[in-house]
Amino acid sequence: MRERTIFTLVVLSLVLVIIGYLVATQVDLSGLMPEQAATSSVLVDKLFNFLMGVAVVIFLLVEGALIYAVIRFRRRAGDETEGPAIHGNNTLEIVWTLVPAIIVIVISIYSYRVLTQIERPVDSPLVVRVIGQQFIWSFEYPESGVTSSSLHLPVDRPVQFQIEAKDVIHSFWVPEFRLKRDATPGQIDELTITPTQLGRYPIRCAELCGAGHAAMVGEVVVETHEQFDAWIAAGGRDAVEGGLADDDGDTSVAPDGRSVFVEFGCGACHLLSDGGGAGIVGPALDGISNIAASRVDGLGAEEYLYASITDPNSYVVEGFAEGVMPLIYTELMTPEQIDALVEYMLTQ
Amino acid sequence: MSVETPTASKPIEWRRYFRWNTDHKVIGIQYLVTTFFFFMVGGALAMLIRTELAQPGQDLLNGVEYNRFLTNHGSVMIFLWIIPVLAGLGNYLIPLMIGARDMAFPNLNALSFWLIPPAGVLMIASFFVGAAESGWTAYVPLSVTAPMGQTVWAVSVVLLGFSSIFGAINFVTTVLTMRAEGMGFWDLPLFVWGMLATALMVLLATPVLTAGLVLIAMDRLAGTLFFAVAAGGNPIFWQNVFWFYSHPAVYIMILPAMGVISEVFPVFSRKPIFGYKAIAISSMAISVLGLTVWAHHMFTSGMNPALRIPFMITSMIIAVPTGIKIFSWLATMWEGKLRFNTPMLFALGFISLFLIGGITGIFLASIPVDLHVHDTYFVVAHLHFVLFGGSVSAVYAALYYWFPKITGRQYDERLGATHFWLNFLGTNLSYLPLFVAGLLGMPRRVADYAPEFAIYNQLATLGAFLLGISTLPFLYNVIISWIKGPKAGDNPWEALTLEWQTSSPPPEHNFETAPVLSRWPYDFGEKVSPADASEASASAGD
Repeated sequence: MRERTIFTLVVLSLVLVIIGYLVATQVDLSGLMPEQAATSSVLVDKLFNFLMGVAVVIFLLVEGALIYAVIRFRRRAGDETEGPAIHGNNTLEIVWTLVPAIIVIVISIYSYRVLTQIERPVDSPLVVRVIGQQFIWSFEYPESGVTSSSLHLPVDRPVQFQIEAKDVIHSFWVPEFRLKRDATPGQIDELTITPTQLGRYPIRCAELCGAGHAAMVGEVVVETHEQFDAWIAAGGRDAVEGGLADDDGDTSVAPDGRSVFVEFGCGACHLLSDGGGAGIVGPALDGISNIAASRVDGLGAEEYLYASITDPNSYVVEGFAEGVMPLIYTELMTPEQIDALVEYMLTQ
Repeated sequence: MSVETPTASKPIEWRRYFRWNTDHKVIGIQYLVTTFFFFMVGGALAMLIRTELAQPGQDLLNGVEYNRFLTNHGSVMIFLWIIPVLAGLGNYLIPLMIGARDMAFPNLNALSFWLIPPAGVLMIASFFVGAAESGWTAYVPLSVTAPMGQTVWAVSVVLLGFSSIFGAINFVTTVLTMRAEGMGFWDLPLFVWGMLATALMVLLATPVLTAGLVLIAMDRLAGTLFFAVAAGGNPIFWQNVFWFYSHPAVYIMILPAMGVISEVFPVFSRKPIFGYKAIAISSMAISVLGLTVWAHHMFTSGMNPALRIPFMITSMIIAVPTGIKIFSWLATMWEGKLRFNTPMLFALGFISLFLIGGITGIFLASIPVDLHVHDTYFVVAHLHFVLFGGSVSAVYAALYYWFPKITGRQYDERLGATHFWLNFLGTNLSYLPLFVAGLLGMPRRVADYAPEFAIYNQLATLGAFLLGISTLPFLYNVIISWIKGPKAGDNPWEALTLEWQTSSPPPEHNFETAPVLSRWPYDFGEKVSPADASEASASAGD
């Protein structure tokens, strides 16, 4: 009887370990993760799969024992007796203390090795400053002096992000790269990533940063070295022209201004039905053309709108705080883009 | 649970439940009823949040409202429900379980309770002056610049911190000095061990958070610059202060729950608890280790990179004492005579759900995986499996298990089972899909999300409403059974801990004569059946 129990245990453990091994190495878990777009993604996913293998074994073991016990040891009707007076078993207790301890130590060592691989120092990375502020990301390329609201990266070249925040804590996260780093006011944090897949991926803020947190979404464009060099040479400003053109072929200036509104994420803070903006951090912009004309005595709508974009603190609408809107739009936008945006506002 | 219903047919002065009363049993019921009310407030906030998230786009709540609701959902559930409801159970049960007449400091005990209603009213009233909107974590600098309600919130949490600390002083002193004659430490019921470990953590960690909140309040009100970056303040400092309390807080919310589960399994398996000393020691081990893991919440924060490794290892090691408990409960069931009364159903549910929370905790402790899933819905799913699947399941198990003792009456098992299944399915439906949403890239605390996450959020919203509905059979059961349930007798479960050896509900000073411990609390399966002892007094329900 005892030999049979030991035999059953050995067979069950072997089956569980094989299932765990298959989950960790053979089963395709890629549906649980975003695309792998960087060297770090591959490393993190391998570790994740390993943990899933361990997790499945523990889950099956405990739930299996639980369900088996519930069926096998349920009290039969009319049975008023009690179970055997077993108080413990030293061997068993040592096993279920030591085995989990060994498992978590193995996981720790593997995690540490993956971490050192991810954070291995690289030679001559492309340096990009990442600046988080409510509720927009902006990027500076110190080598070329380019500043942009979208992040362009050449494929297969290591990038060192230098991450900082202007107001509150944000967190820079590209799910396809599997890495995030908080942007904390008063300090610069570094994060090194080597993108490996061409494509466009979302940048999401992962730390609650205020009313527009959900809308603090940017975009990273991983492109060939030629495309990247061309984008840098153009001052990081070719995105809008090829961007969100209207489908109806309208060639007036309005759709272009609308795409500027969308491109720079104005809708994160401002409500504007036509531009898809739903934010409430700043004043609503529906019907702004009429309001702008009469907001400040002696100031026309166009001048008022221009001033409100380039120097937002010059006329702060009652009920809203000064200093909330970033002062960076003259840096981020070309004069043509600002003009297009103002003209678009005048149609609203 | 209803306040108005007296506990038995004998005319009991119901007004005492609304007054300063030093009887630990009255205080315990005050705690349980008050905190359950706040549980429903927190649940209503959760359902509003889930309604907003039912589909992409901002529909019901704007960004500010959403942040206020999520902040107060978390704060109410943690500070006004789970932590104090477990303290309420401790209040009602510890003196009875160790054979004491009352708590060591009855007036301090009443104060612990009476700090809760004003703190709760403050937190809810803060909505009228612009409620806190920087999450229950209140990260600076966001929380320093937030509107007036943030200060009200801080005052509320400080009051609740004092309530916890006073309660912990009482628990520790009572357990150390007021045990029945013949009761050594290795005779303590495991729930009492869990409360003792919890109280020690509260004494070490809660003052740190309380002090930190005072600093935030001073920055906001008195113009101090503790967290002002321009003046040399450091936002990471707050994170250290906050998590030094708030990670132990997770164990403050789970150790008493594990204590409840350790009471339920032996009674409903009719077997001694397996590995008593290992379970007791593992509670103390978690309470010590739990103080050394806080920075695993800060792996992405730009903390000193070298320090991440020791915090990863301590966080991983916590799995070992936790595993000891789970394996010991399974072994307690082995070869037992399992009775599936409602407390047992919730205890089984506890293992299943807490297991998922525990395993995913290993993923979060592993730094590289955490760098991806930190601050995503993966974390939201994990913490709800631990705190809802774990702690709340155990609270329900406790409320059903001790209902006959507290009221003298028996609840309805069929309604109890209905409640269990709705709760169990609702928990899985609410939180399992959120693991996937987080892995695929959905950050937490967002009022809006990309359309690709819609399906997971729809499932979670359905689950949340199922959970809301699941409280109805519970409330109905408790109210009806309290008023006119069948008399339960003193010891309907044939349990051996001391609280079952007195009448139900217990008399004013708990025991007619000072109890002497004659039997170990988990001495099941011996020749002498405890049924003999309890048959005697079937009609002593009042």
